[in-house]
Amino acid sequence: MLKKFDPNIMAFLCNWCSYAGADLTGTSHFHYPPNLKAIRVMCTGRINPLMVAAAFRHGADGVLISGCHPGECHYMEGNYLARRKIFVFRNLLEFVGINPERLQMSWVSASEGKKFSNVVKEITEKIKKLGPLTTFDE
Amino acid sequence: MPEEEWKRLVTIGRERLFPCIQCGKCTGGCPIALVCKTFNVRRILNEVLYTEGEEVAHNKDYLWNCSACGTCMSRCPKGVDPMEMVLTLRSVLVEDGEIPAKVRDVLKSIDVRKNPWGMGKDSRTDWTRGLEVKNIADAEVLYYVCCTPAFDQRLQKVPRAIVKAFNKGGVNFGILGLEEVCCGNEIKRLGDLWNFEALREKNLENFKKYPIKQIVVTSPHCYNSFIHDYPGLDVEVKHYTQKIDELLTEGRLAFTGEFTKKVAFHDPCFLGKHNQVFDEPRRILQRVPGLNYVEFDRCRERSLCCEGGGGRMWIEAFDAKDRTANLRVREAIDLGVEVIATSCPFCLLTLEDAIKIGRYEERLKVMDIMEIIDLVLN
Amino acid sequence: MKLGVYICHCGVNIKANVNVAKLTKFAEQLPRVRVARDYLYMCSEPGQQLIKKDIEEHGLDRVVVAACSPRMHEITFRKALRSAGLNPHCLEIANIREQCSWVHEDRMKATQKAQKLLAAAVSKAALLEPLEEKEVEVTPAALVVGGGIAGIQAALDIADTGYKVYLVEKEPSIGGHMIQLDKTFPTLDCSACILTPKMADVGNHPNIELFSYSEVVAVKGFVGNFEVTIKKKPRYIDETKCNACGQCAQYCSIEVPDSFNLNLSKRKCIYIPFPQSVPACYVIDPDHCRYLLTRDCTQCLEVCKQGTNAIDFTQKEELVEVKVGTIVIATGYDLFDVTTKPEYGYHLYDNVITGLEFERLSNASGPTTGEIIINGKKPKDVVFIQCVGSRDKTVGNEYCSRVCCMYTAKQAHLVREKLPQATITVFYMDVRAFGKGFEEFYDRVKQEGVKYRRGNPSEVYRRGDRLVVKAEDTLQGELVEVEADLVVLASGIIPNKQTAQIASLLKLSQSPDRFLLEAHPKLRPVDSASDGIFLAGCCQGPKDIPDSVAQASAAAAKSLIPLSTGKVIIQALTSFVQESDCRGCGFCVEACPFDAIELREVKRGRRVLEVASVNEVLCKGCGVCASVCLSGAIQQKSFADRQILSMVAALGEEYA
Repeated sequence: MLKKFDPNIMAFLCNWCSYAGADLTGTSHFHYPPNLKAIRVMCTGRINPLMVAAAFRHGADGVLISGCHPGECHYMEGNYLARRKIFVFRNLLEFVGINPERLQMSWVSASEGKKFSNVVKEITEKIKKLGPLTTFDE
Repeated sequence: MPEEEWKRLVTIGRERLFPCIQCGKCTGGCPIALVCKTFNVRRILNEVLYTEGEEVAHNKDYLWNCSACGTCMSRCPKGVDPMEMVLTLRSVLVEDGEIPAKVRDVLKSIDVRKNPWGMGKDSRTDWTRGLEVKNIADAEVLYYVCCTPAFDQRLQKVPRAIVKAFNKGGVNFGILGLEEVCCGNEIKRLGDLWNFEALREKNLENFKKYPIKQIVVTSPHCYNSFIHDYPGLDVEVKHYTQKIDELLTEGRLAFTGEFTKKVAFHDPCFLGKHNQVFDEPRRILQRVPGLNYVEFDRCRERSLCCEGGGGRMWIEAFDAKDRTANLRVREAIDLGVEVIATSCPFCLLTLEDAIKIGRYEERLKVMDIMEIIDLVLN
Repeated sequence: MKLGVYICHCGVNIKANVNVAKLTKFAEQLPRVRVARDYLYMCSEPGQQLIKKDIEEHGLDRVVVAACSPRMHEITFRKALRSAGLNPHCLEIANIREQCSWVHEDRMKATQKAQKLLAAAVSKAALLEPLEEKEVEVTPAALVVGGGIAGIQAALDIADTGYKVYLVEKEPSIGGHMIQLDKTFPTLDCSACILTPKMADVGNHPNIELFSYSEVVAVKGFVGNFEVTIKKKPRYIDETKCNACGQCAQYCSIEVPDSFNLNLSKRKCIYIPFPQSVPACYVIDPDHCRYLLTRDCTQCLEVCKQGTNAIDFTQKEELVEVKVGTIVIATGYDLFDVTTKPEYGYHLYDNVITGLEFERLSNASGPTTGEIIINGKKPKDVVFIQCVGSRDKTVGNEYCSRVCCMYTAKQAHLVREKLPQATITVFYMDVRAFGKGFEEFYDRVKQEGVKYRRGNPSEVYRRGDRLVVKAEDTLQGELVEVEADLVVLASGIIPNKQTAQIASLLKLSQSPDRFLLEAHPKLRPVDSASDGIFLAGCCQGPKDIPDSVAQASAAAAKSLIPLSTGKVIIQALTSFVQESDCRGCGFCVEACPFDAIELREVKRGRRVLEVASVNEVLCKGCGVCASVCLSGAIQQKSFADRQILSMVAALGEEYA
């Protein structure tokens, strides 16, 4: 029997909103699939496309970047910068043959614990449907 | 699909009742609870929460009393929809065959004749006699007539007036003619999800067959059904008051005659409470030359239900003197209006009955907005 | 390099869902790990001792703790490291509670995830560098935004300690909503009588500089050194000259609705909000003044010239900059807009009023001088409806407003006192009398013959010249129609309209109820997530007066900590430049939101080059510069590319 596909999803969460939101998910005991593992950064603006590329290279089937809602960035506009970078980078992903849907971005504030669990559920479902990242010509 | 619908309503539906805090705002506004003490939606809801399984629906004749006016739904501070619960319980009764005889007749008529009135399919277009009406095959806007005004002789004036107004306003419209079937709004609310599903499929099939850009309906009930119960219908739907208001605003239609009466508008529940269409009918009436418009105290969101919805047209729940429509008519008399205007076939029938019961025929009339328009368009 | 790994059971919080023994074994075989231990409560004193002992005995130079979120105990463990002589930044935390054991049900999978998180933390820890923490001086002053009871209390507490306070209030007078109230529950103190002495104290305090009729428009800087821009709106009256004699108002011919009395009465266009206003200075309403609009009236000017000559139509909007070390936000609340509940007919009937309107009606300085008169008559039947706009999901207010039950009880009492013959009915969903003396007061009001009926009225309509409140009495299970000549809606509390604006100005978060979010719901209820900014009163959630005062004093105490220590440690996570790699393109200079980077000339042999240089005081450590650098020359401390990438690599591995 084939082993059921259990995707590896990596997340980059900003310290002020989404990481705090993910903590609130835990404090409120809202469950979500264990596929996603988070790396904390101070701001989504810190995220370099290099890190996303590295995540895919090291076996991630999906990557989530989550930060403060537009206009609520702790550092003024880091989240806008992240959004622009991700937008461009998704095109590049498509160009190199990776389905850009594997890279998702969301806004989760420090008070949106329930939302974070929903975001994780959604991306896990999405990546499960896309299957493992094996080739570069999706 | 009916199976899924059923599951959605019963299983998820129960979950959706959990937030209820038994504040009683639903029952407090319920027009039926005024007359029927046993019909207490708050208490029924509590019972449903306490009871596992569907047997909770049984031996509750009063479930057929609900007129689906939506007051409870629109007032609940927790966003719970007690009306949906009542209608779901009805669907349990329908599935188990616990159906009042009159409702059985309606459902049978729908099954065989595709209208709830037991009328012959071929007489659906009788109302068009002597009028120029295109078939939708040659037009852009579908005028969806509704069974009730199509078959009821008293109400046939309404679609006739609509046709005349649309022609005058240069609307490129047509009807489905003998192909039209019931929208199913009342059928769904009577709990017959199976018959409703068949009607929905037939209607969607009809709508797909022709290049329809817009649907205009006579009845708020059809309007509600197409807006809420027809996922996948991606054509714009308008009630005729919205369309006429638009024609007037654009200057494509203008009133020339006068109607010098004191008029109040009665909000149909399925137009107002269910769909927040409040302003268009009022704007139309206020444009009528000579018309002295007054407002009922209980209007718009606080309007009083006439008890004609939710299948109640076919269920005689109470003694005729206890109907809420009587209250409405008395309010009109106290207000000194000469005409109650409305824009729903069912409201028209129930209010007209109430005027007869109160013996107010000499002092008060009920008219559809279209009947008034018909008088001032020439 | 020697690493120590410490895995916390957190009682059963982690242990129940993560196989801690397996995780410890797993940690032991990770590269560079010298010791791996698990313990019941790592954050406890013995737990910390465990770490300290190992640092000393095994000469550990990096520590990894797998426990709760770093947002919980990072500071605790950093202190432990420091006390054992290790640089506190040589610590990495793997969050295996909030983001693992509490959110996953499958123990095996949760353990696998914990392994990955731990491996990632260990690999990052090996690359961590000791960091130097910088201390900066604190400006010995505080800003308080909002002059209601919370802002007044916070300002007085800080000022009494000897520090300068700038108090900013958007209205022409301080006092907030409390000054509009008649009596306060449950003690029935006169609200104005207990508040006005405090207001006067604010006005007279040598350490308080009051900016009334002003707004905060910009905030720069960080804890210890905030730079605040305050916009002063023109009063058209010189505050230093006006002696509030009131002659001007007598001669003014323009009457406008009096907002202090909730438009239940009129006031003149030149006005003082209420007699005890602080500052005791008149103000001209620019939207209605004939001189300001059309220049065809100078009545007030003429009369004032004969007195103090305080009127000055040349006044302009003014921007003032102040420097403070800490900020207290006390922006308060607004009342729920009851017109969004059309079933109660507030927009139609004059005798349906809000709770706050009742306060003015009942107040001796109100439009009826305290007599309860509506439409020229004393009402015979009064109905109160509770929970209007509270506990109501459909208007987006799921919360309980916490004050309406008691203010309704108090108002029912006032009606009883002033109209002994009236019948009084209170419709309620639940009576929440949770505070000191509340239940006793509720009992007293019931003793006074106020009828409490359980049911949330569904509608109000007219019958003849009276109102009918229709509800189900849910305890009787029957529909009731109660006739009334006065219906009072207990309107709930919503965040001040400007809350979102304040939040974005100061980078504060709002909770889903739109109130400002505290740093921790239990342990840091007056802190915001931003260092040096504190919350007081209803801006953080609905509160009654004693709770607002308590929170205000707490916020004052908290904000005094940096002021009195005189120094704050600025966070060490700043950026730094590897000059040899920098090619001086300036991308980071452009990207930095805080203007903390500039290009600086350096000599390389005979050549002069430009390289980026970080001002560590201005740098807030977001790391945006590092993400735009093409050569990797600029990096963020503790979040360098190689540190983050090592975590990525570790998360990508599969572990047995």
